[in-house]
Amino acid sequence: MIRDNLWRAWAWLLAFSLISTFAAQWLETYASMVGILILALAYLKMRLILSRYLGLAATPYWNAGFGLVLGLYMLGLLGLYLMPFA
Amino acid sequence: MSTPAPESRLAELPGDLMIWVLIVSELLVFGAGIVAFLAVRTTDVVGFAEAQDLLDRTAGGINTAVLVTSGLCAALASRLRLAERRLAARLWLAAAGLLGGIFLWVKAVEYEAKVSAGIGTETHPFFTFYYLLTGFHAAHVVAGIIILALIAWRDSPRNLESGTAFWHMVDLVWILLFPVIYLLR
Repeated sequence: MIRDNLWRAWAWLLAFSLISTFAAQWLETYASMVGILILALAYLKMRLILSRYLGLAATPYWNAGFGLVLGLYMLGLLGLYLMPFA
Repeated sequence: MSTPAPESRLAELPGDLMIWVLIVSELLVFGAGIVAFLAVRTTDVVGFAEAQDLLDRTAGGINTAVLVTSGLCAALASRLRLAERRLAARLWLAAAGLLGGIFLWVKAVEYEAKVSAGIGTETHPFFTFYYLLTGFHAAHVVAGIIILALIAWRDSPRNLESGTAFWHMVDLVWILLFPVIYLLR
């Protein structure tokens, strides 16, 4: 178990990136589901960079604010992505 | 319980306020580019998927690993500088810069392969966005490497905090560009 916050964030970032890449390569049949997963993981990766690398974890007010705005933005991207499937 | 004044909220942000203004501005610019990319994609999903098949996802994946590792190096440098471990901080900054150089080299190999195959900005709207967004990002990586070198030289804790924050912004933008351009089908 990695105890250091920075190293743990890095391990999660690598893991999420690997999952995204492999899902895109090997699960093409389920494109829309994989797309949702990829965008969700991208959101989690951005939250990790903001909170751990950029240090927003120390300031919950800004961490939550950035998380909320980014979340709304990612929902917008998800809507645009899913539009052709409708 | 009283709510803190706006100035004190801004003071809570780690590092210089101006670097956060820059980070938000850059995210807005790249964010708008990505929205435009996905909006144009809705008009030609098949064409975008065929064009995306010409990209090297493995190279993109490697570059993601390289950049997030570089971000870790920069974050460790900032932490070590605050602990007055200047030499160790400089070494981690050098590692971050070196990984930034590797990112650019992989990107250059990717561009060279595309150009050799006759793929340019006019080939398909997908590639217009591809070159525009990844090229603009690569320019930020170049700027970031220069900034990392400058803060390794002038290594005050404040400089390190602001300089590495710029590097994390570069990381943040790639984390969004990579899945949207390389992975979404």
